[in-house]
Amino acid sequence: MARFALTRLASLVGILLGLSVVVFLLEAVVPADPVRAMVGASALPQIVEAKRHELGLDRPLPAQYAQFLSRAVRGDLSMSLHTRRPVRTDIGAFLPATVELAATALALAVVLGGALGLLTARGGGTSLRVALVASASVPAFLLALLLLIVFYARFGWFPGSGRISPDLGAPTGPTGLLIIDGLVHGRLDVVRDALAHLALPALCLALGPAVALGRTLRSSLQTVLVSDHIRTARAKGLTERGVLLRHGVRPALNAPLTMAGLQVGMLLAGVVVVESVFAWPGLGLYTVRAIASVDFPAIAGVTLVMGAVYVIVNALVDLAQVAADPRLHAR
Amino acid sequence: MSRRLLLLLLVVLAMLGSGCSSTPPPPQGGSGGTLRLAYLADMAQADPDVFYDIEGNTVILSVYEGLLKYKPDSTEVIPSLAESWEVSPDGLTYTFHLRTGVKFQDGTPFNAQAVKMSFQRRLDVGAAPSYMLEPVASMQTPDATTFVVRLKHPVAPFLHYMASSWGPKIISPKALADNAGKDHAQTWAKEHASGTGPFQLTAFERGQRYELTRFDGYWGQKAHVDKVEIRIIPDIGTQRLQLQSGDLDAILHSFPVAELASVKSNPDLQVRDFSSFLNAIIYLNTNKQPLSDPALRTALAGAIDRDSLVKEVYGPYAKPSTSTYPSGLLDPALAPVAYPPSETTAAAGAGKKLTFAFTADDSGIHRRLAELVQQRLDAAGFSVTIKEVQLPQVYEYVNDLQAAPDMVLQTNTPDGAHPDMWARIEWYSKGGLNYLGYKSPQVDRLLDQALETTDKATSDRDYGQAGKILAQDTGIIFVADPRDVMVLRKNLTGVEHVPNYPWALNLAALQKG
Repeated sequence: MARFALTRLASLVGILLGLSVVVFLLEAVVPADPVRAMVGASALPQIVEAKRHELGLDRPLPAQYAQFLSRAVRGDLSMSLHTRRPVRTDIGAFLPATVELAATALALAVVLGGALGLLTARGGGTSLRVALVASASVPAFLLALLLLIVFYARFGWFPGSGRISPDLGAPTGPTGLLIIDGLVHGRLDVVRDALAHLALPALCLALGPAVALGRTLRSSLQTVLVSDHIRTARAKGLTERGVLLRHGVRPALNAPLTMAGLQVGMLLAGVVVVESVFAWPGLGLYTVRAIASVDFPAIAGVTLVMGAVYVIVNALVDLAQVAADPRLHAR
Repeated sequence: MSRRLLLLLLVVLAMLGSGCSSTPPPPQGGSGGTLRLAYLADMAQADPDVFYDIEGNTVILSVYEGLLKYKPDSTEVIPSLAESWEVSPDGLTYTFHLRTGVKFQDGTPFNAQAVKMSFQRRLDVGAAPSYMLEPVASMQTPDATTFVVRLKHPVAPFLHYMASSWGPKIISPKALADNAGKDHAQTWAKEHASGTGPFQLTAFERGQRYELTRFDGYWGQKAHVDKVEIRIIPDIGTQRLQLQSGDLDAILHSFPVAELASVKSNPDLQVRDFSSFLNAIIYLNTNKQPLSDPALRTALAGAIDRDSLVKEVYGPYAKPSTSTYPSGLLDPALAPVAYPPSETTAAAGAGKKLTFAFTADDSGIHRRLAELVQQRLDAAGFSVTIKEVQLPQVYEYVNDLQAAPDMVLQTNTPDGAHPDMWARIEWYSKGGLNYLGYKSPQVDRLLDQALETTDKATSDRDYGQAGKILAQDTGIIFVADPRDVMVLRKNLTGVEHVPNYPWALNLAALQKG
């Protein structure tokens, strides 16, 4: 276990270092003057230069990188050029919304994908499969708009944007995750409102990963279902359902779990589009704005955080795989 | 089984949704109701001495006031916190007589000392908008209602600086002192405000929403609505759906022109368009081959066939520019623009390669313009490559003009309704928006001369002359004067617009029927 943790930690550090180099190289190859954009067109030249100096952007790139790294290891991600706040503060403010959205989407993807895999492994589930595959093949921005047109504008079942109704006076803290905060404060109205706001964006994000998960589960289930222990189980007279759920699923989980870890990457990429359409105040929205302002400190900060989340999630997937399949212990 | 599951899913979805109606009635704090607007982007901050953007104007102009402002639908400067003013004959001394009985939103009184403190703060903070006070030599407050500014040299547009939406705004001295910190209260002013305007800033939730609440102690006509709720909805399609569903009361900019026709048939909505100083222009890189040749630049301008281009892209919501100045800033006859008919420039390109950069805008107008210009220039024998860029990249061009594109498309607006505030940033050799480094010593000399001329007719003539030289040179192609187009719910009345405050309405005057 200690060895597992150490190798994962080392790979985390390596990946984050690599990502930070990529972001800094980008800064070198994209010619832009974010300082002029930040202070405005009519700023006097001395103001622009003073700001450039204050931000350390008049120094050579390697020196800037060294400064960035030395600050980053202390948890200081520099100042955002656009919001003029520490990037760490910004990420602290926007990350919970994205975590809540991505976690809900992942849960939804697991449920839908699980259902798809279980049903189709035995040759059924055609209508669910058609519905899921059809909606997952629509580009995310279009799917988001379609969901809005149908479930918000046409039926009025769900709110059209945002995380929570502003007049609700939602509690702020302790986690920043509205569902959990609502439960902690005993505010069921907040939980319900937050769930209603979550439903469409989470569904939109979940469909693609759900199909990927379902297909992987289906093919590994099909392999498992022809193995010896399943034949034995059937021979004992268990119902087909009992065979599937008690003896089939667990050994078939390895591949779907790997796929789930990979799909988290897809989810994190998808939040940029989905958050824009649903005005979801998370890191995706923050990133869009940072890119438009060529706000490299913010872009670097978000990249590092997203990278870390991805690596950590995949480490958890490894642990889950070991838990699901004890044979992996031996390796 | 699968059908049961689908059904279950639908039931769960419906249960989740139906309990929480998506369109809760606005909370009725008083009689005026809540006005619901949207921004496409976060305004980043509410500090009037740092804020220098267009999105966010409505918040700044509702919370803060300057000494002067513009009359609606006009370029006329009228009193705001100053009731009257005098300018000395040498154009160096401005005496403002201030309004009495004005209170800041924190309850403290407004007076000359407050004006002086706010002006000084703008200089101390030293962000972009401080350029308007840079020519100030001294400030005096002989009594509580008189504020005297002495300038280092005459500045023709100084009164327009005072009326600009980015001009000096008066902030409560108490709030500034209480929150001074080490940065002239900048940390506080990013997300808080205490001005004299008709609304108080009661919530600033970054990336999510801002809330304005009517200030009942306002000295002038009090706001009709109780609250203004501005949500950040970065997708114009989502904004449109919300407007149609009644969750938004207005979309103040970037509504796709092509879809305005369908709005007109909607009985719940109204399309309003106002004159503005927005100007769509194409900068030409006169510093490198092939556009260093003036004759080629003029032929290129003709080949674009501007009249049909503007019609195709903007429909009825823009006119081809008639002057090098946005319409309304200067008599168009003083600096007219005209380009040769496209038939005469049919083969002007002769295979010359051009790169054409445009910044993306939410309405899609720039992309459409760029694509059509590309088509037309290709037809005239040029070989044009278009590329979408971000604004900070455009600012970088001037540092390496040989590597910069040959053409850049941009829509700009002057800070105030004065020709200097357009020409000096667009074509002065060191102008902040002179992206492709147009340079003419004669233009610079005329603009400097006009700036310090106190006689308006003389200075207008100089501004006109500078514009004429640029037009003859075809340093910039003046494409269109777009209107400021807004889509509102039908029940909104009291619509009041100032050409110099783009994407903004006077929120205090708006009423929900």
